[in-house]
Amino acid sequence: MTAGPRDGGEIDALVTDRYLESLLALGVGDPSDAALDGIPPARLRPDVRLVSDRLRRDLPRFHPSFRFEERVALRLAEIAAAMRIPQASGGECAVVPISIASRGRATATPIDPDELVVLFDGPFDERLERMRPLLIRGALTSAALSIAGAAYVAWRRTRPADTPMARAVRAVARGRPA
Amino acid sequence: MARRAFWRSGEPEEAGRSRIRHLDRDRALVDAARIDPARFEGLYRKYLAQVYSYAYYELGDHHDAEDATERTFVAVLTNLHRFEERARPEDGEGASTFRIWLFRVARNVVADRHRARTRRPETRLEAAATVQAGPDPAAVVERREAAGEAWRAVDRLRGDRRRAIVLRFVEEMSTAEIAGVLGRSEGAVRVLIHRALRSVARELGGDARDEPRGTNS
Repeated sequence: MTAGPRDGGEIDALVTDRYLESLLALGVGDPSDAALDGIPPARLRPDVRLVSDRLRRDLPRFHPSFRFEERVALRLAEIAAAMRIPQASGGECAVVPISIASRGRATATPIDPDELVVLFDGPFDERLERMRPLLIRGALTSAALSIAGAAYVAWRRTRPADTPMARAVRAVARGRPA
Repeated sequence: MARRAFWRSGEPEEAGRSRIRHLDRDRALVDAARIDPARFEGLYRKYLAQVYSYAYYELGDHHDAEDATERTFVAVLTNLHRFEERARPEDGEGASTFRIWLFRVARNVVADRHRARTRRPETRLEAAATVQAGPDPAAVVERREAAGEAWRAVDRLRGDRRRAIVLRFVEEMSTAEIAGVLGRSEGAVRVLIHRALRSVARELGGDARDEPRGTNS
């Protein structure tokens, strides 16, 4: 921005601004004369100076009730907690039902490729029993599902079956370039 | 180059930029809240009273001010990922810090509240003022009366004049910050405040009235 010609009002406004900058930087008990440092007294309007000193001293500040403060803090904490779930899982997420690979079995046990069928196949009622909410697109779950999914597709391609999932796998495989 | 005499360190714009550069003071808190939203509490506690004060001056009603304050912080928390800090010197008058963004949100929330009702109520300092009690009751009464006069004089200002005075004296914002909140240039804000102070001076002197209603600058 270039310095152009200014009228009297703008110059007065600049002087006032400079005074306010110094005035508001002073401590509560400091005399306002200290804020005049560097400003030609004749350039500062006396009425503006007086009212500035007064507003600085007298304008009240407000604080809400502590009950309100804590109530809003609690609400924000709840919102924050809800926001942390997708963040912790690696970003955007959706809760979807998915069946568990094996019931009553330690998860550390290596998964037999044959058991992957349990993830997707089987009687519908049995699958419903095994369903629980699971976060998708999470940092951990996505990696695990990708590996499991790739293994299942590879396994299913070598074992033709007439289930909907098998048909879907074959359709996808046919659609891909060799 | 008359104005150089009024600024000890170069051009006013340079001084403004240096203030802006200093104003990215919330960066650590904002970054922490972005990583873990629970850390937003630090920003909330820091700015609660400021936002509430601003809302109370604007709305003149305790419950409306609380509602606006709550809406402001909820909006800021849920939209924190959208906040983009622009506090580099080259950002100049387009600079924005968290505090500026926060008060822009508060200003919008308050404006919505204004639209939702037909008229701004007469403010009631007595209903919410917390002038600190001291050992001398006479001094407390005198202080309260002085606060009441100042409050009423500022309350009679219209629109951005009132907002600029409140942001300057109550929130102790710099001209650059006020410009960011109100969406005006720093020069315009300086003139706005200067005119508002003259208006309040006339009001407190008891010999004049504010500009006609509806005047915003």
